[in-house]
Amino acid sequence: MTQRYLILEDGSAYPGKAFGSLATTTGELVANSTMNGYQEIISNQIYHNQIIVFTQSSIGNTGLDQNAYESILPSAKGVIVREYENLATDHFKRISLDKYLKQHRIPGIYDVDTREIRHRLQKYGNMKASIVDVADDHAFDQLHATVLTNQQVAQVATPKPYPNPDEGDNVVVVDFGLKSGILRELSRRNCNVTVVPWNSTSEMILDLDPDGIVLSTGPGAPSNLPSSVLKMITEVQSQAPMFAIGLGHELFALANGARVSKLRVEHHGANHPIREIITNEIFFSGQEQGYAVDPKSIDHAKLFITHVDLVNGTVQGLRHRDFPAFSVQFSPDGAPGPKDSVGLFDDFMEIMERRRGYNGNGY
Amino acid sequence: MAMDINKVLLLGGGPTNIGHENELDAAAFERLIALKKTGAQIIYVDDNPFSVTSEEIQPANVYVQQVNFKNVVNIVEKEHPDAIMATTGGLNAMQIAWQLSESGVLSSNNVTLLGIKPADLRKVIDNQKLRELLTEINERVIASRIVADDNEAMDFVREVGFPVIVKPISASHDTSRFICNNTDELEDALDVSFKRTYIKRCSIEQSIVGYKEIEMVGVRDVNGNKMLVSGLEDMDPIGIHSGDSIIFAPTQTLINEEYQALRTATFRIMDSLNVTGTCHVQFAQSRTDSNYFVTKVSPFFTRNTMLAAKATGYPVTYVSSFLELGYSLTEVKLPAKYSKYLAFMEPTMDHVLVRIPLWPFRDINDVDQHLNTLMKSVGSTIGIGRTVEEAIIKSMHSSQFSPRDILPSVSKVDDDDVINQLIHPLASRILILMEALRRGFSIDELSELTQIDRFYFYKLNQLLRAQSFVVNNPMSPESIQVGHKYGFGDGMLAELWNVNISEISKMNQDVKYQVTYKEIEPSAGEFLENTSIFYSSYELENESHPFEGKTALVIGRGGNQLGPNSAADYYTTQILISLKKTGYKTIIMNTNPNAVSLTPQLSDKQYIEPIQLGNILNIIDIDQPDVVFLPGNRHYLANQLQQFTNLNVIVLPPDQKVASYKENQATTAVDLFVQKGEILPVTTISFFKHDNRTDIHHINDYQEPMTNWESDEVSLIAQAIDVVNVGEWQGLVQVLFDKTATGKYSCTGIRPVRITETAFLTKTTGINWINVLVRKYLGLLDMNSLRNQIVPTEHKRYSIMAAHFPFKELQSNRNEGTTKQEVGSSLSFENFS
Amino acid sequence: MGKIILDKMAMQRALTRITYEIVEKNKGVEDLVLIGIKTRGIFLANRIANRLQQLENVTIPVGELDITNYRDDIEHDSMSSDVKMSNNKIDFSIEGKRVILVDDVLYTGRTVRAALSAVMDLGRPKSINLAVLVDRGHRELPIRADFVGKNIPSSQKEKIKVYVSEIDDKDAVELIK
Repeated sequence: MTQRYLILEDGSAYPGKAFGSLATTTGELVANSTMNGYQEIISNQIYHNQIIVFTQSSIGNTGLDQNAYESILPSAKGVIVREYENLATDHFKRISLDKYLKQHRIPGIYDVDTREIRHRLQKYGNMKASIVDVADDHAFDQLHATVLTNQQVAQVATPKPYPNPDEGDNVVVVDFGLKSGILRELSRRNCNVTVVPWNSTSEMILDLDPDGIVLSTGPGAPSNLPSSVLKMITEVQSQAPMFAIGLGHELFALANGARVSKLRVEHHGANHPIREIITNEIFFSGQEQGYAVDPKSIDHAKLFITHVDLVNGTVQGLRHRDFPAFSVQFSPDGAPGPKDSVGLFDDFMEIMERRRGYNGNGY
Repeated sequence: MAMDINKVLLLGGGPTNIGHENELDAAAFERLIALKKTGAQIIYVDDNPFSVTSEEIQPANVYVQQVNFKNVVNIVEKEHPDAIMATTGGLNAMQIAWQLSESGVLSSNNVTLLGIKPADLRKVIDNQKLRELLTEINERVIASRIVADDNEAMDFVREVGFPVIVKPISASHDTSRFICNNTDELEDALDVSFKRTYIKRCSIEQSIVGYKEIEMVGVRDVNGNKMLVSGLEDMDPIGIHSGDSIIFAPTQTLINEEYQALRTATFRIMDSLNVTGTCHVQFAQSRTDSNYFVTKVSPFFTRNTMLAAKATGYPVTYVSSFLELGYSLTEVKLPAKYSKYLAFMEPTMDHVLVRIPLWPFRDINDVDQHLNTLMKSVGSTIGIGRTVEEAIIKSMHSSQFSPRDILPSVSKVDDDDVINQLIHPLASRILILMEALRRGFSIDELSELTQIDRFYFYKLNQLLRAQSFVVNNPMSPESIQVGHKYGFGDGMLAELWNVNISEISKMNQDVKYQVTYKEIEPSAGEFLENTSIFYSSYELENESHPFEGKTALVIGRGGNQLGPNSAADYYTTQILISLKKTGYKTIIMNTNPNAVSLTPQLSDKQYIEPIQLGNILNIIDIDQPDVVFLPGNRHYLANQLQQFTNLNVIVLPPDQKVASYKENQATTAVDLFVQKGEILPVTTISFFKHDNRTDIHHINDYQEPMTNWESDEVSLIAQAIDVVNVGEWQGLVQVLFDKTATGKYSCTGIRPVRITETAFLTKTTGINWINVLVRKYLGLLDMNSLRNQIVPTEHKRYSIMAAHFPFKELQSNRNEGTTKQEVGSSLSFENFS
Repeated sequence: MGKIILDKMAMQRALTRITYEIVEKNKGVEDLVLIGIKTRGIFLANRIANRLQQLENVTIPVGELDITNYRDDIEHDSMSSDVKMSNNKIDFSIEGKRVILVDDVLYTGRTVRAALSAVMDLGRPKSINLAVLVDRGHRELPIRADFVGKNIPSSQKEKIKVYVSEIDDKDAVELIK
């Protein structure tokens, strides 16, 4: 086993054993505490430029399933875990984690005290890290000198529109670094989907005559995107039902005058209770967020806060008062994570059905 | 909002047996702590003499009676409680709750059943109703049909496919079930079955033998908020009772889609039953596609509810008590040591737990020892580690009867027998699985034969490789590092290399990673919890730190076996309670997930670590206890620990090797307490009640005071005092007598009072004898007060403790057992005639 | 045998969505009153009111309407109007209010027509909207719901049964063949 190192911006170095690719990479270090779905996590584009620490101590146990990827070309910068199992099952045509990481040039390190790293991140906040062969001064210099790109969405989102045809509602998905779980849920509901690039204009979108519009998840800070995106959102939200998720939710909030700020410690897990304000019920969902909408910045004449995280108080859902446009910070598609809130997609379908039934009446 | 409840009747779990150990008492105990917070008055009914719960309740509020319908009705009519809490009394208590509702006792006395409404409980108790409910909410249940001829059977098979199980109804004699994989087998099975049925009907059902068994434990509140506490995966497939399965937490071989589908199903089931509190749902998950069946729904506290709590560190019992009382998840206030969010944060784990069952076949060997759908294990131990291998080794290590740091092997079994045991598993199955790997069976082959997921064989294989590396590279730092990583403790390394453990300790100083302790808490490091529950690992960060002030380490008994084990856990628990009262900080080390002594509120720190010398020494090293208590009869550990002269080791009851018997007979005994030169008579005992045998090894029943106490007691006590040499004996001592044909009593031996009987004496004399012993050995005993409490010759009634044996559960025809075959006891009282 | 079309969760969501749509359509909750149509409509109206309370921190009045005697498809003796109204509980004025009528199932439209008559007997509201949990089609009158939880196309032979946990043992909508 090759020994390699995870080195952190604060000067700490963790020796461990290499798996996956032997590439040297740098990214933000984030801890994910979801206990199932390492495949969905690693292949999610929101981890572009990030090194994922799994707090769940053992991954790789089931191999990687053809039906569970969240993207075709994963862009995470590394995987850190206590223990990994390199299991593949021919029966399900699953490939092993090691092979997958090698294919996509993602380095991994195991046999590391991930619980200690989790504690460190909680204590000192987000930090950069590198996966390197030698933990010397040079490596640390490189780490400190590395400036991570802020063009993340452009790097992972589709540059051209493409269709995912079916016979149901006509849904336009604006891709900011889309996770496939969203498309899967729309497919299950027979939506005729067109995925369009993140920088599409409202005109391009409305020309597709959508019954509904989805603003997708994606990596990085919403403030990295040009204001034209916000303009697009304000222009389309009054024209068709809109469902925004993750980065899409943050953009929806910005477009409607709210502020978004970076969390001191990114939150990736499925353990925080989310309260739906209107029913006072709590549920759980996969959450992968580095940013949060500031509740104080919400203009209540424009937006309802629909969901909050009971642990850190962050806004988890919004809804426009005047239009059927709503957004959630978490991942209702449950890939990975609980499916407690997957019904939001049904709501979206119902809203589209209502609108169609009234022939646009009411807009 | 919380209900207005001032008086609660809590139903106890009754004597321990196969299928339920101390976990029900542990749960009831935690319930008690929670209920006390609400200010409610608690009435408790239980006849388990080893119940800790019943001692924490005002004696006037405890009914020492068998937990049955008749007794509970009487108590309800006398006490008029506002509510009944039956969910920690096992299935028995739930059935009583159902009877109470059916017979109108609940409504006529205006009593609320907590946890589940009677109408919903019915859907769980009645299997047909449960099937209807599950079908209605679109959950799959195993299809079954009663058929009258071959054609109907074939129609059924065409609908559901092979394999199916055929069984004659009203059979002429008790017959087995036939598993049919094809038409030929089906025709044969129908042929035989139709010949055996009196009513010309057979049942035919879909077979799910070989499916994965997955268990989910969730909680739900009155508002419908739900949270999953933990998923559990049985390594053994459907066909082996979950109680006899090796269980992993978290689930290991499910992909996210499968896991979430089961989570959602669990929630849907809890909603459809309007459960408040905990619910445990078992599933059969297909190995070849995403299909699953619901196999069991338990909206009450079960063995694996406790396992889920131990796996995650989430206080399930405590929280669910409040949920049953109508609090919502967000309203539950936890003790200060938990973070304020914890009650409603879904537990997430950063460690692995493995549970291995313990079977009674060493003590009862003339029964069918095959593992099947009838549960046979009497206890279990858990191992927790940061890696799957670590957890497996620790649990295997703990599951051994001997504390000698040895991993057993079954290398003498011949090849045919190995194959036979792979297909027809016996107890300690994991040893055969490892042996098969050692002999070169391929993983695919093994997975095919056993229906155990390949993942587990990969892990076992890695363990074998690590073991051979360690064996082949003795006394090298690399070997120590590999050994540590895979969970081999220092004691085990010393055994493998045949050196003294101190040699390993010396070498450890040169190894990079020293032993560290990680906290078991439900946020996976997100919050700084203070659950004070730890397990070991060799990593960077240590989270367990010594206490300030006087500290006592109590070494728990480990997994339950037959013999006085549930009593030993009671004994251990009482030591903890006594120590706490004397101002010591207490540390418990145990591996039994069902032990009351591992209840978080009972000690200041809990270690879930193998009860083995190496692991004990590591903990002593970290915590530097002033005193180490070793409850129970464990000569090897006592001897080993006493070699470390810097340790103050107290063995309780005092070492039983000094017991001396003149004959192997006794009918009567005098119990005495010896403190230095003083002998205090305690009481007298007659040994036979249900069992007329007087052989020492068959003495299982106790009656206090002795029969004919009015005439014989005073002189017998005097006779007993004469034979006790105060230089030799200390503590609780029992002088044995045999009543001869002439009516005289002749002394046949002296021994320390047994653990079971100490519990009995505590219940009958009103003096906590374990507390007395703890104080005696700490030099804190107040003899004056003790003298005043004891009035040996005044009695109000007979107290009787009768042993229970698991013969019926093991399908044995025996009915009388030895002290080593006891599985539990019951306590009752009888007025003098 | 019934088949569950909407389970507890779906029912909850449908009512939640209807609540948002009510606010959206009325541009707020000013002058809003809810009137539930006998039995299950009343419970649904209360649930919507609870949601509005959570969302906007306002208490919306909820009235109860028994339209048995207004039904034109049920034969009954002619009665005086105060006997007609005996089972209603509407202790607020609807004058100038935005009334939301709430019912469980919209079918022929006759119940709603009767409810409209009953409401109009009480005063002159600013507007009347209709919210239903289920629209199963087969209208016999020109009536349309403004807020629909779920469209459930059904044949006339089938029955739709709505259960509410306040009086039934569960929350569900079942299609009974």
